[in-house]
Amino acid sequence: MRTEDFLREITALKGLSGDEGLVSAFVAEAFAPYCDEVKVDGMFNVIARKKGSGPKVMFAAHLDEIGLMVVAIEEDGSLRLGQVGGVDPRILPGQRVWVYGRKKLLGIIGAKAPHLLSEEERAKNYKREDLYVDLGMGAAKVKELVHIGDQVQLEHRYTALQNSRASVKTCDDRACVAMMFEALQQLKNLRHEADLYFVATSQEEVGSRGAGTGAFALDPDYAVALDVCHADTPGAPGWRTHKPDSLVASMGPYIHPVLRSKLTETAQENNITLQTAVVPRYTSTDADEIGESRSGVPTALLELPLKYMHTTVETLDTKVLKEGGRLLAQFAARVNEGWEDELWT
Amino acid sequence: MDLKTLTEAFGPSGCEQEVRALLKDAAQALCDDVSIDRAGNLVCRKKGRDPMKPSVAFAAHMDEIGFIITGHTEDGLLRFRPVGGVDPRVVVSKWVVIGKERLPGVIGAMAIHLQTPADRERVLDYDNLYIDIGAKDAKEAEKLCPLGSYAVFDTPYTEFGEGFVAARALDDRVGCLNLLQILASDYAGDLCCVFVTQEEVGLRGSKGAAFHIQPDIAVILEGTAANDLGDTRERFQVCVPGQGVAVSFMDLASIADRQLFQQMREVAKERGIPHQVKRSVTGGNDAGSFQQAGKGARTVVLSVPCRYIHSGNNVASLSDIKAQADLAVAFLHSL
Repeated sequence: MRTEDFLREITALKGLSGDEGLVSAFVAEAFAPYCDEVKVDGMFNVIARKKGSGPKVMFAAHLDEIGLMVVAIEEDGSLRLGQVGGVDPRILPGQRVWVYGRKKLLGIIGAKAPHLLSEEERAKNYKREDLYVDLGMGAAKVKELVHIGDQVQLEHRYTALQNSRASVKTCDDRACVAMMFEALQQLKNLRHEADLYFVATSQEEVGSRGAGTGAFALDPDYAVALDVCHADTPGAPGWRTHKPDSLVASMGPYIHPVLRSKLTETAQENNITLQTAVVPRYTSTDADEIGESRSGVPTALLELPLKYMHTTVETLDTKVLKEGGRLLAQFAARVNEGWEDELWT
Repeated sequence: MDLKTLTEAFGPSGCEQEVRALLKDAAQALCDDVSIDRAGNLVCRKKGRDPMKPSVAFAAHMDEIGFIITGHTEDGLLRFRPVGGVDPRVVVSKWVVIGKERLPGVIGAMAIHLQTPADRERVLDYDNLYIDIGAKDAKEAEKLCPLGSYAVFDTPYTEFGEGFVAARALDDRVGCLNLLQILASDYAGDLCCVFVTQEEVGLRGSKGAAFHIQPDIAVILEGTAANDLGDTRERFQVCVPGQGVAVSFMDLASIADRQLFQQMREVAKERGIPHQVKRSVTGGNDAGSFQQAGKGARTVVLSVPCRYIHSGNNVASLSDIKAQADLAVAFLHSL
C-alpha cells in the first residue's frame, strides 16, 4: 500500500476517542507485514514491535479522532449535539455527518436561517447548541434508529491539491500514523540495534489517555511522540505556526534536549530540513504523558505542519509526511546502547 | 435527464453554459423551437392549435449560488466573494471546485487551538476567508485560477432518510428538471418553457425573457426556504419538506394572481397532488419579472420546499419534486 493510500483509507474509518477499535484493527493489519509482533491492547492502542537487542524505543502517534455525539432528540426529529474532543462549531453549519445509530445514517447540520436572526445574533457564530442534525426522516423513524449517546462522525473526503498537498479530515493525527507506516517500510532496508515499538495510541484528543497506559505497559528507554502542529494560516499568530513544507522538532522543558539533538543530527545527516518550535511548557501531545510515565522517559517530539487543524479540510504536504517517515527510520537505525551515557551530558 | 446530472452541473450566475448545454440537448428532443435569447435564457416554444387557449410560460432558473475569485495572496490562497446570497458561516471547512475544469479547493479556517475568545465569537467574513488549492505562491494560484474564475460548492447528489435528497443547487435545478416534463406534455394553446439565467443576482435573466415572451400566464417553478426544523419559531416556518409542493400567495417580488392561486389549490385537491400553502412572505423570484414586464402577465409560483437553501447542501423531498411537476402539468391541462 502506498502511504497516500494508507492516509486516505485510515482517515475514513470511524474512531472517535474511546472507541477506536476499527482503526486499531486497520493499523494492526497494515503494520503486521513489517513487524515481528503486533497487538491491540484493552485501550485500543496498537503496539507493533520490530525486535532488536538494544534500547527499547517507543514511537507514538494517536489514531483517535474528534467528533460529535447525540445528546438529545427533538420532537421534530432533529438531533442535538455534544462533542468528543475539541470540535470548532464554526465548521459545522451545512456540513454532512454520519450518525452511527442502529444503521449508519447520513445527516446534514442545520441552523436557523440567517434572515431570521437578530442583527446581534448575525454578528456571531452559531454555537453548537444552536445547531441540529437533519436526518431527512420523521421523528418516529428517528427515534427507532437513533439513541442518545450515538456517535456522529464528520464527513470524510480526501482531496488531492496542487504540489503534493492533500486535504482530508483527521490528519490529526492519523497522518503521523501514516508516517510510522512509511518508516516501517523504509526500515526493511536498514539495520537497527534498538528494540522498536511503533504505537498508535488512543484517546489523545481527550487527554492522551492511551499514551499514558501504553507507555506504562511498554516501559521504553526513549520515546518520540509524533503529532501535527499548526501550519501558517491567515489570521493566526506567526509565532505559533510553521511553514507547511518541512517538519518541526519542538524544544522546551518537556522535550529531552539530548534526544532532540539526536533527532536533529539525524535530519542533518540525511538532508532533511527541520524547523524549530519552542514550547515553554506542556506540548499538548502524547509526549507529555509518555515523558511522565513511570520514573520518566526521555522523550522527543516531531511534528508535521497541518493547516486548518480540527476541520474537515485539514491540509498537509504528503512529501513532508514521507520525509518524516524517512527521518524516523534513520533515527531508529541510529539508536544504540551508547546513548545512555550521553543523556545528561 | 436526471436530477443528479443537473445538480452536479456547474452553473453559478453568469456562468450557466454547462447547465444550458445539458438542458438544450434534452429540450431539443421534446420540442422543435429551441433558442437562446440575448440574456442567455434557453427558450423552448410549442405552438398551440387552439388560439382561444391562454398562452402559458413556465420558468425555472438555471443558475445557482456560488463564488467568484477576486484575488490571490502571497502564499497562494485565493480571495473570493459570493455570487448570490451565501451566508459566510456555511462556507467554513467546505469543499469547492473552481472553473469548468473543476479544480479542487478547500475553504479552511484558523484552528480552534489558535482562536482568541473574540475569534470564536466573530463571524469569519469574506475578507477573512480563502480558498486553498495547494498553490505555493500568488503566481501559481493566478495561473490556475485567474481573476473572475467561478467556483461552486463541491457536493455530490445523495438520496437519504425517508425519500429525501441532499445536493447542491436543488434551487433551482428541481424546477429545470420539471420544466422538461412540462415540455413533454400536450397543451392546445401556446406553450413556452424558459430556463432563465441570473436569478440569484437580481432576477436578471427573467427580465429579458418576460419582455419578449409576453405570456398571458406565467408559472414559476422554484425552490424555496423551508425553515421548518430546529429553533425557528412556528410563525417563521415557511413550509415543510415532504408535505407537498408549496403554492405562494405572495413573496417579496410578486403577489400571486388570486384566481390562479385558488385554481392551483383546487386542481391539486381534485387530483390528490400533495400541496401546501407557503406560509411566510419571504424571498423573491422570477414571478416579479414576468408580472411587470411589457404589458404584464398573471403569475403564480410553485416551489419545492428546500432546507439550507443557500448552502452547499440543499435538502428536499423527492415526493415534493414530483408533486411540483404533477401540479404544473395538471394545471396546464385544466386551462
